[in-house]
Amino acid sequence: MPVHEADRVEAADGAVVRRVLGGDVEAYRILVERYRRQFGRYAVSLLGDADLAADAVQEAFIRAFDSLGSCREPDRFGAWFYRILTNQCHTVRTRSGARRDTVPVEDAGLTSRERADAGLEQGELAARLEAALDQLTPEQREAFVLKYVDERSYEEMAALLDVSADALKMRVHRAREALRAIMGAAR
Amino acid sequence: MTHDTGSDEMLEAAARAYARGLPELPAALDDRVMAVVRGRPVPAVPRPRHMPNVWRWLVEPKQVRPAFAVPLAAAAALALFFVARQTAPRAASAPAVAAALPADTIYVRFELAAPAARNVALAGSFNSWGEQSIVLARGVGGTWSVTVALPVGEHRYQFVVDGERWVSDPTAHAQVADGFGVTNSVIVVSPRGVVRS
Repeated sequence: MPVHEADRVEAADGAVVRRVLGGDVEAYRILVERYRRQFGRYAVSLLGDADLAADAVQEAFIRAFDSLGSCREPDRFGAWFYRILTNQCHTVRTRSGARRDTVPVEDAGLTSRERADAGLEQGELAARLEAALDQLTPEQREAFVLKYVDERSYEEMAALLDVSADALKMRVHRAREALRAIMGAAR
Repeated sequence: MTHDTGSDEMLEAAARAYARGLPELPAALDDRVMAVVRGRPVPAVPRPRHMPNVWRWLVEPKQVRPAFAVPLAAAAALALFFVARQTAPRAASAPAVAAALPADTIYVRFELAAPAARNVALAGSFNSWGEQSIVLARGVGGTWSVTVALPVGEHRYQFVVDGERWVSDPTAHAQVADGFGVTNSVIVVSPRGVVRS
């Protein structure tokens, strides 16, 4: 059955999952496109490498397809897929043996406090944050990236992670404190 | 404070700059995924597990009048003892209750001694690492436990203490690093029970 453009816009996750399970494999493309767009940059952020992220996302989609029958809440496919993707990213990181070539925070930017106060070059800021993110716990990093890189609301994050919004606010707060300390110490 | 405000602003500016530098993954990825899944069988929906009437009676919540509370509590305790004894990780015999499960699913009991914990949950590859879907019950002396039906195979897991502290299982078959500086515990389930080596 062909995938119509209207499907891409309107079809709810649960309806698409049921179509796939009913034998309409082509409908799976709707979910792949939808969540490649939503989580692609998140994967790049976790892995620090677009090629590794593409491999992880592709493998996660294939795994999700193979076990789609065990997705207990098809309407929450996104949250289910998110966990598969996160674990796949962890596996890829372990298998690849290394993260990106991590730049020490103190080498990633800032040469003077005055310059920080005046505003850093965007590239330097990004590089320093990238290096600092590597020093967070996995939970803090995940929460910070979802909040400030993906710009999700706490309600969206709570649905995605199956953690209360209050707990996530605390995680983000701690992540910010840690990042401030790491980036501040590197000045 | 001026310093905090400045740091917060810098942090958010850094996040925006960092986000702008992250590339979108190419749409060609969709084609690659579809090329693979077209060659795969349509995923099957697992058959719903059928519970025998006696087992259903034991596990379904029901209202209890006070006069029956003590004998029913005793019956429930016996039932739990039976299940735990037959399905504890170290038990290898085929349990009568487990015979109602698919052949490739085994009951496994998880325990963690955490007297100071307010709550403990189990997160692993078998529940998509959900932090709240499998909640342990507190027992005497602060030992928390839960019995879970696991499919045969290797699973990774951790305990989540008070909703935020991830703890590996000190009694696990093996421990593996997840690449984020975190150690996951490993459990291997065979058709005859939990494999320990």
